[in-house]
Amino acid sequence: MFITDLSAISPQLTYNENFLLGDKKSYESTVFNAIEPDYTELIPRNLLRRMGKAVRIGIGTGTPLINKNSELDGIIIGTANGGLEDCIRFLNQIIEYNEGTLTPTNFVQSTPNAIAGQLALIGKNRGYNITYTNGGTSFENAILDGILLFNEGNNKKLLIGGIEEISEYNYNIDSLSNKFKKETIKDSKLLESNTPGTICGEGAALFVVENESNNYYAQIKDVAQITYPSIEDLRECLTEMLERNNLKSTDIDSIMLGYNGDINHNHWYEYIENKIFKKSNSFTFKNLIGDYRTCSAFATWLSSHIINGEKKILKHISRRINNKNTPKNILIYNHFDTVRHGFILLSK
Amino acid sequence: MKVVVTGIGIVSAIGNNVAANETQLKLQKSGIDKAKNFKSRYTNSLNFGEVRLSDSELKKILHITKKGYCRTALLATMAFKEAINHSKLTKSEIESYRTGFISSSTVGGMCNTDELYADANMKGEPSEFIKTYGGGEHTLQLIKDFNIKGFTSTINTACSSSANAIMLGCRLIKAGRLDRVIVGGSDSLSKFSVNGFNSLMILSKEPCKPFDENRDGLTLGEGSGYLVLERSDIAKNKKPLAEVIGYGNSNDAFHPSATSNEAFGPTLAMQRAIESTGIKKLNIDYINAHGTGTPNNDITELFAFNKIFSKIPPYNSTKSYTGHTLAAAGAIESIFSILSMKNNELYPSLNCLNPITKFNNPPIKKKTNITIDTVMSNSFGFGGNCTSIIFSKIK
Repeated sequence: MFITDLSAISPQLTYNENFLLGDKKSYESTVFNAIEPDYTELIPRNLLRRMGKAVRIGIGTGTPLINKNSELDGIIIGTANGGLEDCIRFLNQIIEYNEGTLTPTNFVQSTPNAIAGQLALIGKNRGYNITYTNGGTSFENAILDGILLFNEGNNKKLLIGGIEEISEYNYNIDSLSNKFKKETIKDSKLLESNTPGTICGEGAALFVVENESNNYYAQIKDVAQITYPSIEDLRECLTEMLERNNLKSTDIDSIMLGYNGDINHNHWYEYIENKIFKKSNSFTFKNLIGDYRTCSAFATWLSSHIINGEKKILKHISRRINNKNTPKNILIYNHFDTVRHGFILLSK
Repeated sequence: MKVVVTGIGIVSAIGNNVAANETQLKLQKSGIDKAKNFKSRYTNSLNFGEVRLSDSELKKILHITKKGYCRTALLATMAFKEAINHSKLTKSEIESYRTGFISSSTVGGMCNTDELYADANMKGEPSEFIKTYGGGEHTLQLIKDFNIKGFTSTINTACSSSANAIMLGCRLIKAGRLDRVIVGGSDSLSKFSVNGFNSLMILSKEPCKPFDENRDGLTLGEGSGYLVLERSDIAKNKKPLAEVIGYGNSNDAFHPSATSNEAFGPTLAMQRAIESTGIKKLNIDYINAHGTGTPNNDITELFAFNKIFSKIPPYNSTKSYTGHTLAAAGAIESIFSILSMKNNELYPSLNCLNPITKFNNPPIKKKTNITIDTVMSNSFGFGGNCTSIIFSKIK
């Protein structure tokens, strides 16, 4: 599938693309919050007021893409948690008002499929519509669905994306299960921190994908995923995907890795980087945006721009450069909490 | 290439396995009643389609001694086990890279409302459920318990979730990505869902009355349903129950929690499902309607039937037996559709005393035996998500 348009709201200035011109935000914090644009031109004020952050950044990213691309055949969204802030706000009301008379706004906004539903509403899009809530491979699920739809032949143009918000509550819940660092940390020091835990991030990255195009940013060639793998399982999963695409590991000139500064997560990335793709360039992305379950959508946004020739961002993400040419293939490898692992293969 | 159903499993308000559910359908006995296990301010004032097993009884039956299994995961494990046993899947088949698993839930681990409240607000020590709240966490528990290595997914399109799981499963087999896939969903009664639907004022005080002129809302249920789908050539030594011959998905693009008067989404989902079979003049013998019992759903669904069919096929809402099981509804009702087809038997829609007057087309009134070769199951959800699935007998 060909990425012909894309948009992202993230902790970097990705929405107006100043980030691509070299304007990088630095953080020293326990969370990397998304930089949200002024939505007033985009979303009517009365609707905006009711939207939780996940819905807001999803609609904020998706609406311009819908407006520019009228003939969308369907909408596929991956979001592990959807509007969790609204969800727990509703929950708090349940407990604090002892299940009294509650307002439905938070409930309706909290369902993960509210984002794809509202995007359909905005675009009057009665095509295929689905929401994946599969934790760390929700966006990978969405890509595979898109690939299937194109191969089936009834769809030509889709909106796909990955969205996650930080709420106080999901931060608390994930903190209690020790996912985050206890200390504040500089973004530039995150990846070599050598301590357990990562930094919580958030964002939305949405893509217009088409089954045929001559004018595109990058192609998504394939996707693969596996849960609770051993290293051997992971290698088998990857090998199978490469073989399916008639590629050898040496054909992959660049890899984009999900290093997140958690000392307990690194060995998976090191294995891919140093055992399988020894000669490839390697890039990172979580030093820019932190970690969250659908961050591979941001990695896809970033990789698409790199394949399309953007250079000014490279200095912030390069780990190992063996070849200074514009990458032709980028393999994204990411896992969340070592449980769900995903590969996304992009090409020029 | 054909995709066939080789195993089914259910737990619902009308029984803890497929046989018990089938018996209650034949007896025309609803499982909607006052709740015994579910504790809420509404326990005594509302009716529910509650599974008649407590969490500890479920754990005992399933031999689960570990902590951290929410009710959604326990119900899922019950139905999942029945489905894979029914299909006689071997351990190596379940663990094969060519076997997938697609689940769905709306409430997921948030059924533990009080624990979630404490954990999210950091009141006290983390509860045993700290890692189980996410919608995809029950899927992970099954993946781990059954060592599933192939493609896995979790879907949340509200009340059409497990219908979309069936649809995705078929498409993955047809695309050659999988040989077999276990598909379905699970949802348990929770303060979260009850108060959510209550705040929208769409819960009925009485047991729900789908397609009745005086219907006044839905009755929440709980349960789980899973189907084993296999490529027909690898299932040739089995006796498949049905073939999945069509599926269609559409968004109504009208309102976050109501269907358009024109029923755009339901109509398109059904039409796409019918078209996808590739059969000219497809005859549908029975429709398991979405039929929630809300004023909005039932009139719009009937409107859509009227638009699509010159003569509306016999239809019912089995939510009058189980209550609305949310994400599980698509799978549970697909299984009921398959049972109707297997038995050549139509089961009446319960509680419909005065059928909707606008259309002179009441749901099935009494148990009837007719030849049923093709059935359609509808699932429509909040967010405009509509999906229809069509099954046929094995020819």
